[in-house]
Amino acid sequence: MKSFLDYVPGDSALHRLNPLTKLALAFGLCTSCFLTRNHALVVGVMLLNLFQAAIAGVLDRSLKMLSALVKLSVVLFLAQLFFVREGRILLALPFGLYITDAGLSFSLLFVLRLVAATMPLAMMLSITRMSDISNALVRGTGIPYKYAFVLTTAIRLIPLFADEMAEIMEAQIARGVEFDTKNFFKKLRLILPLCVPLLISSVRKIEDGAISAELRGFNLRNRNSGYKRYPFGVGDAAVLALCALVMAASVMI
Amino acid sequence: MIKIKDVSFSYEGNPKNALTNVTLEAARGDFLGIIGQSGAGKSTLTRVINGLVPHYYDGVFSGDAAVGGRATLESSPEELARSVGSLFQDIEGQLFASVVDDEVLFGLENFGVPRDEIESRVEYALAAAGISDLRTRAISTLSGGQKQKVAIAAITALKPEIMVLDEPTGELDPQSSRRVFETLRELNEKHGVTIVVVEQKIMMLCEFVSRLAVMNGGRLILEGPVASVLKNAEKLEDAGVNIPRVTTLALRLREHGLYDGEPPANIPEAARMMRTAVHASL
Repeated sequence: MKSFLDYVPGDSALHRLNPLTKLALAFGLCTSCFLTRNHALVVGVMLLNLFQAAIAGVLDRSLKMLSALVKLSVVLFLAQLFFVREGRILLALPFGLYITDAGLSFSLLFVLRLVAATMPLAMMLSITRMSDISNALVRGTGIPYKYAFVLTTAIRLIPLFADEMAEIMEAQIARGVEFDTKNFFKKLRLILPLCVPLLISSVRKIEDGAISAELRGFNLRNRNSGYKRYPFGVGDAAVLALCALVMAASVMI
Repeated sequence: MIKIKDVSFSYEGNPKNALTNVTLEAARGDFLGIIGQSGAGKSTLTRVINGLVPHYYDGVFSGDAAVGGRATLESSPEELARSVGSLFQDIEGQLFASVVDDEVLFGLENFGVPRDEIESRVEYALAAAGISDLRTRAISTLSGGQKQKVAIAAITALKPEIMVLDEPTGELDPQSSRRVFETLRELNEKHGVTIVVVEQKIMMLCEFVSRLAVMNGGRLILEGPVASVLKNAEKLEDAGVNIPRVTTLALRLREHGLYDGEPPANIPEAARMMRTAVHASL
């Protein structure tokens, strides 16, 4: 099953950047979203993301993700909106509920941040090979390979778990369990017991994976094992400068 | 190449023997198939060969096992891995990279293969597994059969003398299974890799392997060239192995005195048998 975290091969300028640059950019953009209180800047980060996606040739995926996030945001926005009681009342509703200007502004910022901050990392993962991330991390920052591997494996396991869950759910549907119910709470109650089989089969899977990695010399690996080199180029400098600029702007504005 | 002598093993927490007095030898260049019901000890036998038993799985081990001249008891699975490549049924779990060539690189990097050798090894492995054209593809976009071939390539790059595969086609459809076996045959014939493979699909197994080992209740009950093993219809049935229909036919014809050769191993031989039988009955 294709997942939104899967790597999309390509040879764009973004693909060719140093993995550490891409990682820094992603984290930089996320942080900016939370540093600033300016709506326009957060929207700017969002647009920057879409622009990156267009360059890397993953625009359709990013738009799909954006639309999913927007749907989620609407729910969160409405939930948030009524909890802010400060500010000037714009609209009074029955049951003592009202919408204030502060509430509106805060809720909007809240969901914009959510959307804008989710995208850079997903974007980074779709244009960077897993092994490049871990190898560049090991080489560039000196963290032990094991930790870098844990990070990339965790990301790799998300789609595997999703597959596994889908399989278990299908098996349950085949036995007449009503997963297609519209009632969210009912659905949740049906899904929760499945966590146990999911956990068991996942642990087994991970165990097999661990054996397989060890038999391929995982424990012999050291900092210099990586075959590829990850030089920093002009492009990296430019991207990092841009990232610094966005972060500076987010602090000042 | 592989010498297993009188090996018994029981997993920790389970008093029942998973293997009982198993003695098995495989020479360089053999293509050995292991078959039997689930719980017969097939997987445990492969784990004895790659050293996971007793190094990874705890339990009571007795007997001697040597692979490529190394006693498995005295070498860690990692050391053994330099001469024994292992492949498992779970395809997704054993792939770690996002792109095919990174997957092949993983083992090469780990074992510290010299830099100037790496490129040629990657090319060799991809060609040997028949997936040179998939080199830059994202693994998530490949089919199950292709993924299993990537796993085979990743092992092949390490140039093992022996490859041990535990139900490599368990998650695959018949056609992809055949392709995986064709890849194994190529590795065996062209590159001289000794192959030990556990497989449930008996027809396919008989077509590809040169020797067959049949397990039943933790014991090795039959072992030898395919044709001679297939003659033991009763023992095979006891072990829960369905013998190929053409073999049943050969045995019946022989009972009736219409045929006196070996059970056929392929279609031309089967055609020859039928002709002989028809002539004999006229």
